Amino acid sequence: MKVLKIVPEKCTGCLRCELACSYVQTGAFQPAKSVIRVSPYEGHTSYAPYTCTQCAEGWCMTACPVGAITITAAGAKDVVDDRCVGCKLCTIACPYGTIFYDHDTRKAFKCDLCGGAPACADACPTAAIVYAEAETADWLADFAVERSARLLAIGGR
Amino acid sequence: MMAARHLIIGAGTAGLNCIRTIREEDGGASEITLVTAERPYSRMVLPYYLDRSIAESHVFTATAATLATWKVKTHIGRKAASLNPQANALTLDDGTTLEYDDCLIATGSRAVKAPVPGADSPGVHSFWTLDQARAVIAGIAPGSHVVMVGAGFIAFTILNSILSLGARLTIVEIAPRILPRMVDDKGAALVEAWLKKHGVKILTGVALTKIDDARGKKRLRFKKVGDLRADLVIMATGIKPNLEWLQGSGIRMNHGILVDDHLRSSVPNVYAAGDVAEGKDGVTGAPVVHAIEPTAMEHGRVIGANMAGRDVAYRGSLNMNIVEVLKLDVASFGAWDASGAEAFTGLHPERSAYRKLCWSGDRLTGAIIIGQAGDVWTTNDVGMLKGLVQTGVRLGAWKEHLRRNPFDVKPAFIASRTTARLLPETTLGRPSRAPELPTTVAK
Repeated sequence: MKVLKIVPEKCTGCLRCELACSYVQTGAFQPAKSVIRVSPYEGHTSYAPYTCTQCAEGWCMTACPVGAITITAAGAKDVVDDRCVGCKLCTIACPYGTIFYDHDTRKAFKCDLCGGAPACADACPTAAIVYAEAETADWLADFAVERSARLLAIGGR
Repeated sequence: MMAARHLIIGAGTAGLNCIRTIREEDGGASEITLVTAERPYSRMVLPYYLDRSIAESHVFTATAATLATWKVKTHIGRKAASLNPQANALTLDDGTTLEYDDCLIATGSRAVKAPVPGADSPGVHSFWTLDQARAVIAGIAPGSHVVMVGAGFIAFTILNSILSLGARLTIVEIAPRILPRMVDDKGAALVEAWLKKHGVKILTGVALTKIDDARGKKRLRFKKVGDLRADLVIMATGIKPNLEWLQGSGIRMNHGILVDDHLRSSVPNVYAAGDVAEGKDGVTGAPVVHAIEPTAMEHGRVIGANMAGRDVAYRGSLNMNIVEVLKLDVASFGAWDASGAEAFTGLHPERSAYRKLCWSGDRLTGAIIIGQAGDVWTTNDVGMLKGLVQTGVRLGAWKEHLRRNPFDVKPAFIASRTTARLLPETTLGRPSRAPELPTTVAK
């Protein structure tokens, strides 16, 4: 399966992924509704995007009481808007924090890999987000460990 | 070999997940019989039926056609009357006897009203079943004054709906505070202040003594404070597992049916799930009844796999709840109320934001999170806190970081390699399949 591979060392924090994601997902440039989210590390000296892994369990999908989350042809877990009632159970079931609730539509929303052509990967100018055939992995941990040493040292580690 | 005969008692979340999982595993090879007092529907979505954001047809989780597709024989409208585990036989309330090779007890729970005179009079409702939801819907009009007796999770799931119907709402609670089983005192105070700011009247520490009728209204009388008059009263004063019919069956029970790590009762071919099961808490390891939707779902799936011949152990359930009231998210996980546990808290009253993190060593064992639902980072953190409690990952030096800033969960989650811990985790030892939608409402 093709997945969103994140190469955090290449991220410049330009946020084009968030803009592209929200535009494709909602029709408006509103990073607050992006389902890929860039976070700063080490006092804004580096950045990394974070999004749904399309995990094997599909915690959101199995938790949904009305079967409103399904698997698309691209292999993404996706919310079926007509079925979703907006109960938010998926948001506490997902242990990654990558399914959201939209107050305007009163539905849950998440990364659906843009139907197999993810806008975030297209928009990324540095190939920090690559849509490629790969095994999903913990793309960020090594980077985060390295880029948070000083943050932790402040606390007298 | 004769096909196995599975008997499922109850068509709630646990029962239906069990059936679906059996069919995922065996493709229709076994016999499944379902006994259920009501047509299968989801209680979780009744609040959205109450506020009319969904049609009634939307609440049903399996239609007759779905059940036929799954090759399930049904006894709908029938209740289990007695179980004879020695004979592997269930007797229904109409005298029918059904034999099984294995059986799931998933009879759920029912709402109980406060034991006061007038509690069963017309105009005093529970909100638990579909029929009860219909009665409440018929009774509320714009401008109605609704008095909610009880300020627990169930009450809170329908606050938004009642207010969005244009009703005025007063909540009365016998305990000194709201949400006693979902958040701590500090969190409750924050939520109470939020609701009062938004026009909800809340009376805590008041004991209801009687409900009677006065000039076309319901009159509620209390021990110390003055009467309240209501057009409609909803009693959200607790639930009770439906276990009475098992008296004399020999099945071991405490608060619920005691189950092992495969969710088997004291009789190995009788499983129990959901609100009637007392099984392992994944955080504390202690036996507990988690009467929550996710536990019923996981129980049902694990039992379905085992009934289909797989050997799937259950890791234990995680206590968790979320409710949104007037755009304030309130969520809690795990052992958030463990007395004596080390806890860090963070409070930003001006933003109505609160965090509580409970610890065992450098592992997170429980959390409370309250924040405005419009805050995009709140949702990220809700899930990540769940992931940290679920995995019990060791946070090492991040613990001190979270002591200084309990709101900065994300770097701790990522740098502690929680994602790597979670990725291989599945409930059934294989990737989950997409659910089949009820056929009448399928897209």
